[in-house]
Amino acid sequence: MTIQKQGPTRRTLLSAAAAGAAFGTLPGLIRPAAAADEFKIGLFIALSGPASLFGPTQRACAELAAEEVNKAGGILGRQIKLIPTDAGGPPAESTKSAIRLMLEEKVDLFVGSHDSATREALVATIKGKVPYIYTPVYEGGECAFNTYVLADTPEQQIRPSLTWMMKEKGAKSIYMIGDDYVWPRKCNEHAKQYIAENGGKVAAEEYVPFGAPNKFEEVVTRIKSVKPDAVLITLVGADNVNFNRTFAGFGLDKDIARLSLLLEENTLLGVGAESSKNLYSSMSYYANAPGDANKKFKQAYVAKFGDKAPQLSLIGADCYAGVYCAKELVTKAGGTNAQKCMAASEGLTIPSAAGPWIMHGRHVDKTMFLADCKGTEFDIIKTFPNVKSGDECKA
Amino acid sequence: MDPLIVTQAINVLYAVSTLAVLALGLAVIFGLLGVLNIAHGEFIMIGAYCAYITQSNGWPYLAALPLTLMICGLLGAVVEWTMIRPLYRRPFDTLVVTWGLSLLLRKIAEAIFGLGYRSLAIPLPGTVQFFGTEYPIYRLVLIALSCAVVAGLVIWYGRSRTGSQIRAMVSNPELAQAYGISVRRLAAGTFITGTCLAGLGGVMVAPLVPVQPFMGLDYVLRTFFVLIVGGLGSVPGLLSGAAVIGGFDSVVSAATNATNGYFAVLVLSILFLWLRPRGIVARG
Repeated sequence: MTIQKQGPTRRTLLSAAAAGAAFGTLPGLIRPAAAADEFKIGLFIALSGPASLFGPTQRACAELAAEEVNKAGGILGRQIKLIPTDAGGPPAESTKSAIRLMLEEKVDLFVGSHDSATREALVATIKGKVPYIYTPVYEGGECAFNTYVLADTPEQQIRPSLTWMMKEKGAKSIYMIGDDYVWPRKCNEHAKQYIAENGGKVAAEEYVPFGAPNKFEEVVTRIKSVKPDAVLITLVGADNVNFNRTFAGFGLDKDIARLSLLLEENTLLGVGAESSKNLYSSMSYYANAPGDANKKFKQAYVAKFGDKAPQLSLIGADCYAGVYCAKELVTKAGGTNAQKCMAASEGLTIPSAAGPWIMHGRHVDKTMFLADCKGTEFDIIKTFPNVKSGDECKA
Repeated sequence: MDPLIVTQAINVLYAVSTLAVLALGLAVIFGLLGVLNIAHGEFIMIGAYCAYITQSNGWPYLAALPLTLMICGLLGAVVEWTMIRPLYRRPFDTLVVTWGLSLLLRKIAEAIFGLGYRSLAIPLPGTVQFFGTEYPIYRLVLIALSCAVVAGLVIWYGRSRTGSQIRAMVSNPELAQAYGISVRRLAAGTFITGTCLAGLGGVMVAPLVPVQPFMGLDYVLRTFFVLIVGGLGSVPGLLSGAAVIGGFDSVVSAATNATNGYFAVLVLSILFLWLRPRGIVARG
């Protein structure tokens, strides 16, 4: 009885699914070309996976920028239409979406806030056919055709903060721990240079598998036996939280300073007040960063999304700058022609949540902050004004 | 003795004992009932959120235990009644249904608590001198507690009347039924015990890890490995599986690095599936 019952049910389900799939593709076939007056931006953010924690704020910040630009007349008279697309999965999934967005949606431009592995895949897929603006923090060196980088570079993020650690805090030997992918490894290459310049030494360099369920008792025990003066952390997300909690749990936070390169508001909440002693972060934006630009930005953010708006952090605020960069770039170039955009980008002023940035060599010079973690809040103890990207692209 | 080696040795002990207690719930559900509970990690996640609720309301940490047992028990009962009961002896179908359940539970947690990381204060903070090295107190307590929980369950399973009824049900359900054992009720009770144990594991590890809706994924794979390597349905199987998976990972991580540790676990699991699919201790 049961077996007979199952057959048709599954068959019905299958045919229903097939019909559903067919229907799903229909709008793509019959979509009218009428919406051509919209300026379509493919927005790559984390909608799924572990980084999807950032998705809501990334989306909200981009929407805020789009609304402001649209109210002021849009881009060359065209209203911005954001197409939020998932970049939280494996890079190959994002490249598939990029192809679909270019062929089907005919997007005018891409803005991306995601990891470097995905950026490398997207650069190879987009091939400069439309402008691509990359926004969070990164390891430097991206000079692909028609690609524009707003992200913090090692020269901006690591050099000032690490130099400060070594000069002011007297850190001589540095232990490096990171997730095993392109961003941490390249950041550490830069860091080694800065450490050498300041007469220090690398105590050890260690990586844990990216995306694996890592635990850090063994790593922390090893750090304890090596006794470095400071630890440079290029772990991301849950690994960053786990490591810092284990580190403090073993009592190492008393004597060893930590500088983390992707420590924003959400991650610090996870690390928690009792594990954040002697922990530092360096980035171009914090929710409590000083300045009128940030004040205005936060007011607009709360006005649009209310008190329950997703927590602001660099990952999110970068999308706001990304959309504004699109507007300034395309307006100045008079369109999305690659050569014209590349030329227009030089000397371009881009409004960001932390104030205006100037683009040189398709990277931006910006003010950097060094923050000491006080409980679950960032206390900005040092400001490095107008730091050069050190990554200017020639052509 | 070198304090580094002592600390790493305690780390191994910690890895093995916590893994055993985290796998306990799955060992009961998968090992005894044959239900491939992919949502095991989500019950651990629910336990961790119960601990979070307890702490954010300012209740004593131990209050998380009754709360977890209540929520995981109730949820386990509903799940068993609605989804699992029609599917006993159809392992693949239980895999599909619990996979769906895991997605649902993650989304519910996301809807209630959001995707952000929650951090709990460690109930027993600080470190203690231990064989010439400093070690976090809470982790030491966790080792002791894990051993106690596993030992307690082992003794109960071996000595109690219910334990022998479960053994009867597992080896021959029809005969057990004929002897007047209510197999249906016993199976439900066993399933609920499994979900409660998973929740308990969640309460224990919650102060050490970031609590978030996705955290269950970190545990489900590793606990399945434990059962694959150790073998289903026996206590020595569970313990040897936890010792091999947790111990190997920890020893290799300590001696070389975490990448090799993870690699070793994957290779070991594949070798066992290939060459010894019934595990170290095969049920008789």
